[in-house]
Amino acid sequence: MHANPKALMRPALTAALAAVLALSALAACSTTSGGGDSAKPDSIVVSGTYPVDSLDPHSAAGGSAGKEFTGQSIYGRLTRPDAKGKIVADLATKWTPDATATAWTFNLRSGLQFSDGTPLTSEDVVASFQRLLAGDSPNKSNFTGAKIAAPDKDTVVITAAKPDAALPSKLAIFFVLPKTIGADFFKKPVGSGPYVVKSFTPGERLVLTANDKYWGGKPKIETVTVRTIPDLSARLTALRTGEVDLIWGVPDDQLKTLKADAGLKHESVPSHQVFTMWFNSSIPALASPAVRNALWKAVDFKTIIASLYPETGALAVAPVAPTVFGYSPQQPKTYDPAAAKAELSAAGFDFGKPLRLQFANAEFRAFNQAVVSDLAKIGVKVDLQEKEQAVFIKDLLAMDWDVNFQQLGTAGFDASANLGRLYPCAAKRTGYCNAELDKQLAAAGTTTDENARAADYAAASKIIWDDAVGMYPMTVQIAYVWNKRLDGFTRDASGYPDFSAATVSAK
Amino acid sequence: MSGAMSEAIGLVRLRRGRPRRTALWIPLGIVSGYVLVAVLGPLLLGYDHVATPVGDRLRAPGSATANGTAWLGTDGLGRDVAAQIVYGARTSLLIATVAVTLSALVGMTVGALAGLAGGWSDVVMSRVIDVLLTFPGVLLAIVVAGLFARGLPTVVLSLSITAWTPFARVARNVTLSIKEREWVSAARLMGVPRLVILVRHVLPFVLPPIVVMATLEFALVVLAEAGLSFLGIGLPPSTPSWGQTVANGKEYLATAWWISAFPGFALFLLVVSVGLLGDQLSARLGRNSRSRTS
Repeated sequence: MHANPKALMRPALTAALAAVLALSALAACSTTSGGGDSAKPDSIVVSGTYPVDSLDPHSAAGGSAGKEFTGQSIYGRLTRPDAKGKIVADLATKWTPDATATAWTFNLRSGLQFSDGTPLTSEDVVASFQRLLAGDSPNKSNFTGAKIAAPDKDTVVITAAKPDAALPSKLAIFFVLPKTIGADFFKKPVGSGPYVVKSFTPGERLVLTANDKYWGGKPKIETVTVRTIPDLSARLTALRTGEVDLIWGVPDDQLKTLKADAGLKHESVPSHQVFTMWFNSSIPALASPAVRNALWKAVDFKTIIASLYPETGALAVAPVAPTVFGYSPQQPKTYDPAAAKAELSAAGFDFGKPLRLQFANAEFRAFNQAVVSDLAKIGVKVDLQEKEQAVFIKDLLAMDWDVNFQQLGTAGFDASANLGRLYPCAAKRTGYCNAELDKQLAAAGTTTDENARAADYAAASKIIWDDAVGMYPMTVQIAYVWNKRLDGFTRDASGYPDFSAATVSAK
Repeated sequence: MSGAMSEAIGLVRLRRGRPRRTALWIPLGIVSGYVLVAVLGPLLLGYDHVATPVGDRLRAPGSATANGTAWLGTDGLGRDVAAQIVYGARTSLLIATVAVTLSALVGMTVGALAGLAGGWSDVVMSRVIDVLLTFPGVLLAIVVAGLFARGLPTVVLSLSITAWTPFARVARNVTLSIKEREWVSAARLMGVPRLVILVRHVLPFVLPPIVVMATLEFALVVLAEAGLSFLGIGLPPSTPSWGQTVANGKEYLATAWWISAFPGFALFLLVVSVGLLGDQLSARLGRNSRSRTS
């Protein structure tokens, strides 16, 4: 009896192999099932730039918290911008100003319903507006001192504190909730948008299903899953494997490889966003426009943009993007490090003390490092501080920074939501205060004459640009890349794609 | 006859010695090479980690750039990967040396004192060590690194905070067995002060296993530092570090593999070499010293 070692080995080996195979199959299963519903014919999975932390459209978080993107799918609003930025009807079908553009009358669409079947009336709009004003949303400063009334069920009248020609565009980020909101409302909110929340895990995934009571008709795609994938390479992999159908805000380096993929489509659309690097004018080192201009001159933005953002970036020539009303091109700053250094020395700039440059989101790290590098070349020390989104916002509002980097958008595509909101002395956002600028911005806000408003914003832009309240290096395009089976969604200029008219082909 | 025997022993030694010697000398040579590069490299290479020549970004290994040939390519901001590896070696070795020395000193002192003192102080110290050992080291390091401002002292502190416990354990165990030996009892009976007993009669026996342990810990600390920097909670971005360079390259794995691959390989080679060196040291110091003393 001689046991053949090989014969003994074989069953053991087979068993081991089987175990390994079973394990890998399990692992494969768990990853695919974690991928969501993208394989189903009437559902899609999307992953955008920003995490979705809260579904409260009136919360203190800024636009980068994803609340406006999700808000437009879940809630209705009086007006909305179309993909190109033109203000069009949403819950309101018609809006008319009075003679001075102070009181605006909005006529609501008839027969509006919330997703739970209760009718949406002017009372809900009034309650929502008051909720926005009572909270601490950064958007409420668009409506300081405004009053709202509901003369009848289908009409609301919003009276601004001062004449405000841009009110309808500002209302594009005012979302309407039901008039009574329970404590747990935002776990499963009720709205009047194209989609209804099925489930929501903050910072992870939001599952939306089509709202059959949507005034525009039930969307064709039954389920939209919004996944937060913070790691860029993971997001790209998810798109390539088909786990995700659409991603946007794709950086240029990665865009190149995705373009080569035959199963994907791509489009870059001009956004209303501008890389904005405010100087904190309230600190002594940056109080003088000469210093701020010299610092701007010291950075070779043209080269940086051409290298890092060859496709989606362009040198900015105004504080707001060309897609925005009130855009007025200014004289571009010329890169001249030698002159910059001389001007800084002449202005008595302290080269020994580092400037704190704060930003959030790893995607902007390379750009900011390149800026720091150029400033270091002329001897300006910069302490680059990458912060968590929440810390960043807190420090931003507390003015606890010397230079602040943001990809700043202009919601509603009207300069009033950017220049008019952030640059008056009273806003206390940049440390900059100029009575002349205040006058121009106030004038732009109060007249209804489009040409006069454009002229006022042009004058305001010139002051902001010439005094270098900040550096305005780059206008941004948003790159959308999607699976060929998806079609008909809006390539939105704000980075908030709309799926209410989207379709999925069978294959 | 005795001559023949010693000859035979010599032959045996020679035969067994050769592979053993190469097993010692190869990792020792590699580690020394790293030390040389870390000490001398930055003196020879002019490299500024803050400067970002974006015109030369993502160049393949061997490409010519404005600052000379990039033998290992350039990263997403045009910085030379080879120079980052050299400067990263300095960072890695410096942090690991400081953290391990600190941990070894603290661990040895605490362990030897606990072992020598006995009683309730031993119980307290041993339980503290046990509690710290139950924490996953890297997790605790992440917590500590997150609490303080980014910088070298924070990284050293966060890595040392659990790294000293194995040292303390070993030191305590050795002390417990040594203190029962005749010469220690004799010294105690002669009224030699405790501190002198510790320094002259106990620590010399604690030291060899601690040295072996230190080499093994060194490899772990190098790895943990790279991990922290990879996660972005280690050193500030202005200091080159392997973990950071690997992290910078992870978005370019498909298009510019060299950014992550080379520092990753440098890390791998160092950790493996230090580990092999530790094995050799443990074979020599550990076993031989025991056979000599017994």
